[in-house]
Amino acid sequence: MALQPPRKVYALGAEFQTAGELFRAAEKVRDAGFKRWDVHSPFPIHGMDKAMGMGKSWLSAPVLIGGTSGFFFAMILTLVPSTVLYPVVVHGKPTSFFTTPAFFPIMFELTVLFSAFTTVFALLIFSQLPKWYHPLFNWERFSRVTDNGFFLVIEARDPKFSESKTREFLEGLGGQHVTLVHD
Amino acid sequence: MSQEIPKPKAEIFDLRRVGNLPLLLTVLSAIGLIVSAIGAIVPSLRVQFAHSWLFAFFYFFTLGAGSLFWILVHHATDAEWSVVVRRVLENVAALLPKIFLAVVPVLLCAPILYHWWNIAPGVDELIDKKHNYLNTPFFLIRAAIYFGVFTFLATTLKRLSVKQDTDGSPRHTISLRRLTFPGIALFAVCLTFAAIDWLMSLDYKWVSTMWGVYIFAGAAGSSMSLLVLLVTWLRKLGYMSYVTEEHYHIMGKLMLAFCVFWAYIGFSQYMLIWYADIPEETRYFIRRNIGTWNYLSTILVAFRFFIPFPILLMQPLKKKPVWICSVAALLVTMQALDLYIIVMPMLHKTGYSLAALPFDVAALLAIGGPLALLFLKGLGKQSLVPVRDPRLELSLKLTN
Repeated sequence: MALQPPRKVYALGAEFQTAGELFRAAEKVRDAGFKRWDVHSPFPIHGMDKAMGMGKSWLSAPVLIGGTSGFFFAMILTLVPSTVLYPVVVHGKPTSFFTTPAFFPIMFELTVLFSAFTTVFALLIFSQLPKWYHPLFNWERFSRVTDNGFFLVIEARDPKFSESKTREFLEGLGGQHVTLVHD
Repeated sequence: MSQEIPKPKAEIFDLRRVGNLPLLLTVLSAIGLIVSAIGAIVPSLRVQFAHSWLFAFFYFFTLGAGSLFWILVHHATDAEWSVVVRRVLENVAALLPKIFLAVVPVLLCAPILYHWWNIAPGVDELIDKKHNYLNTPFFLIRAAIYFGVFTFLATTLKRLSVKQDTDGSPRHTISLRRLTFPGIALFAVCLTFAAIDWLMSLDYKWVSTMWGVYIFAGAAGSSMSLLVLLVTWLRKLGYMSYVTEEHYHIMGKLMLAFCVFWAYIGFSQYMLIWYADIPEETRYFIRRNIGTWNYLSTILVAFRFFIPFPILLMQPLKKKPVWICSVAALLVTMQALDLYIIVMPMLHKTGYSLAALPFDVAALLAIGGPLALLFLKGLGKQSLVPVRDPRLELSLKLTN
């Protein structure tokens, strides 16, 4: 740690022994009104989203937009050429709007494709990925998060954050190795 | 996570809580039976009666068969969420042997319903080629097989589940699961061939290999909707307070799945026939788009798929009983319209006929009324929830 030059404070981190301790601590941090904070554990903990006070994910909104644009894109892509630009009678089918059933598979596929793409890319944007570096990696103990460490981190940009008071608060929750993490 | 969920005690349905409903149902069934009997006796009305009765019978048959399907899937997948609502499904599926009583008039009227019945060999080459399948003895034998399979599955699944209420042995859960693996296959085969026998053979010249799946998709979706309605009704009477919005959410998801699946199968069947444009195949859809049938077909597509789909897509609405019940009621009604459009254009070839209406309503009442009465009577004979199912606790504290 001594090698780290003095930089901006990123967050205060605390370590917990078990998933249950982390869960109860998360509930208390949520009730204390913190907004910019996160928990890290080696495995998913059921009910943690509720314990952290997280609402429904917003991911469905971009997916809906992606899906509908895929649908309309396919409609334009199929109907404009076959009814306006090149109205050729194929298989005795009409060259009007009523030829739509033939293009349903294309509309369906493009809806699915666009939805899938927006899901993947919106997810990456929402989780700020890809990124090569995260300030928490400056904290040596944090490497235990892939093994047996349970961490709770309150970021410095949280309006309620104060170095001394938040430290006391985390220690009061039973957090060990409460450490100031620099950027 | 912290609060304890109370374990439900055996809740026994009390018929007195529903007030005059049994009396009303008795009167309605009596009216339905009398009008249907008039239709059956008067020779000029018999054809109309036969078609109305077939439509009503198959409607209730699909609701019962769909409920059976959900129990089979529940046990086969070792599902947790559905434990709290399983007994309601079991009670609906247990009506299947009684629903099969209603097939007797269909079989008696078969010569006027199914045109292939009376065609002598040598008249139509097509019917000669299909003779090995479409002949009277085999038709009746198959009906008996469907009756046997559906009765065996429905009663065994319910019997073992009720037995577990008293002895609490997890052995029953395992034997139920073992039963469902062959059970699902038997169910699929019997529902497919029942749909082919009783509906598709109304026009022996027409074939569709998707027919069984199409009927199954409608049956599964509408019986899930029926389950939502029944559970909400029981909750209104003060029972089943342990069914939470999470359970509604899952039931809504399954309704959405089968709403889409029905549209997918229905459209696939339509598009292949429309695109190939072969007269023997297109006759089905041409017949159902003549005159006023066209309006009813359009209504079916709109209200069976386009209206419920966006509503069911929204998560908050699936958790609100008012919304999910409105959609469920719509889907249960649309299942009736679906079967109506399958059966009735075979008789009224130029368009919907008002002459059919009294007999349609009468047949629905004559079959639905007694079934509802039997359902109410059967509901009170055991607990409303499988109280000693090993997965009950997990089902109670379900979170999506």
